[in-house]
Amino acid sequence: MPLYGTLDLTAVAKTLPTLANLDTEAWILPKAEMLQLLIEVPRSSTDGLLPKAMHPALPSYVILALTRYSESPVGPFTLAMLRLGTRAGAHPRGLMLGAVASSDAAAKELRNRWGFPIEAGEVKFLRRHDRVMGTVKKDGKTILDCALVDPQPVSGTDVQYINWVTAANAPLDGQTQTMLIQVDPKYTFYKAERGKPQVATFDAAAWNAPNLELASPIIGTCCTVDTDLPRIRFVMDPLKPVFQGTRRIRESRVDE
Amino acid sequence: MKFGLFYEISIPRPWTPEKERTVYNNCLEQVKLADELGFDHVWAVEHHFLEEYSHCSAPELFLTACAVLTKRIQVGHGIVVCVPEFNHPIKIAEKTATLDILSGGRLHVGTGRSATWTELGGFGANPDTTKKSWDEFVRCLPKMWMQETFSYQGEFWSMPERTILPKPYQKPHPPMWVAVTSPGTEIDAAERGLGSLGLSFAGFEEQEKKIKEYRRRIQSCEPVGAFVNEQVATTNFLFCHEDEKYGVEIGKKLGNTFNYLATQLISTREVFSSPSYQSLGLLPALRRAATGPDASEQQTEGMAYGDPARIIRAVKKWESLGVDCINFILNANEVVPQAEVMASLKLFAKEVMPVFAKKPANVAAAAAE
Repeated sequence: MPLYGTLDLTAVAKTLPTLANLDTEAWILPKAEMLQLLIEVPRSSTDGLLPKAMHPALPSYVILALTRYSESPVGPFTLAMLRLGTRAGAHPRGLMLGAVASSDAAAKELRNRWGFPIEAGEVKFLRRHDRVMGTVKKDGKTILDCALVDPQPVSGTDVQYINWVTAANAPLDGQTQTMLIQVDPKYTFYKAERGKPQVATFDAAAWNAPNLELASPIIGTCCTVDTDLPRIRFVMDPLKPVFQGTRRIRESRVDE
Repeated sequence: MKFGLFYEISIPRPWTPEKERTVYNNCLEQVKLADELGFDHVWAVEHHFLEEYSHCSAPELFLTACAVLTKRIQVGHGIVVCVPEFNHPIKIAEKTATLDILSGGRLHVGTGRSATWTELGGFGANPDTTKKSWDEFVRCLPKMWMQETFSYQGEFWSMPERTILPKPYQKPHPPMWVAVTSPGTEIDAAERGLGSLGLSFAGFEEQEKKIKEYRRRIQSCEPVGAFVNEQVATTNFLFCHEDEKYGVEIGKKLGNTFNYLATQLISTREVFSSPSYQSLGLLPALRRAATGPDASEQQTEGMAYGDPARIIRAVKKWESLGVDCINFILNANEVVPQAEVMASLKLFAKEVMPVFAKKPANVAAAAAE
């Protein structure tokens, strides 16, 4: 059967975010601008990053994502994320390895509500006619400098975003447990562009992936969307294959 | 109704030399038996880099071995990837012609464009242009086979005038097909007069719609070859056993394993935003079916596993929808022991095939004894 990750999340539980409960309220996030760069990475450079419950993507790839949220319950902010392409059973997922938000309030809420491995820093999303650029600084040091080069219009229906997974501690069945949490935003597209990914600076260690090496660029997109951060619907045991260890926390989005 | 075998050649880890050889030998043994039992086709895919799911990257070699080991069964190259980074069209014409000669005119040529980023990215191919390069290739191939000399100036490849040799044994040329996974490809097949080689596991209703549209459109086609190959083939799993419950249990295990391995592939759309890959191909249905390798949920309707009576009901339903041929996947990751695969083939030939045979029913039955 397919390979599994090797990371025992319970052994690093103290380093993970802790949620007070799994009753996180949804955030509505209209007119967000989302820059995503997909880049293949050597499988060996992802060793130790993938929980035992999940399969590696074939080939391995990461998603560098910068999003400018013009409205949110904590005001406007820009968010940068590194996600590792993976499989939760049969389903493609992006495992969140690291994130930086442009405001302390956003970082705090995203960590406490959805388990983002996030800190506050300087995150810039800049649009030029020939490129869309993203830069991230932490403690004055540039940890990401990237761009979508030569953006060309495409249809929103050409773009597929895959759901995210975070790793966190949260109360379940009367005790705090380490778990994987599915974060599955929805999207309504207003504008979509596609171009070539370019990365000038990438400090892997600053994204909690010290051995990660960027290899072949796949594609980049920049889209304007209405999106959200929904209530938590599924959590997964980090040690069991997800088809055995998935728990549904609530039925659907109807209750949002 | 015709029956065929369909090989992805799925090999579980760890990939020791003996394991890969054993699986290939198992497949050849099955093909030899299928030939004796009266099966019509053996198809082999072209896939690259698809760990465990398919180690069939050189299908023309496997099919050559099949042709040499058998007498009657037709060999289907299903499919040749018609993308220049994968296969040069001259080499496709030459290799298929050679295989047609070696098989004594038993070759069918399936065509397609690959659906996974795993493969397209591996060869450095541009997903935006695969439909267009496929279109060029399928229009060139019949001419390369039939014309004394051939020259071409195209968008994806060109060549000065040369004589492409050898020529196929079949005249005017082998039947041509196209792999149909994405919605709408059945129309591409029909408009070009190509057979529809269905590779998805869609249910009856969806298949019926596709087949009707294919039959309607092909009436006014402009064939790319010298003749219209109006045939609809579909893919299924086969496990036939006297005991229905056991047959269903093993059949589901086979289907679940295959589906779960398939869902590990990176479909092009998942990572490469392109108008050329609007659909995820066969993956959505597989993901619905493949909740896990040991899932107990009911799979897609119409699967050919269980006892002969159950399988006959499924095949009759496919026949009523207009399917001409069902190609069977017999194993995935070797979850079905070889002896049981062989017994399943024999029982199917003895109890099921005669029901659908145009020839006297006792021929296939006698072969199964």
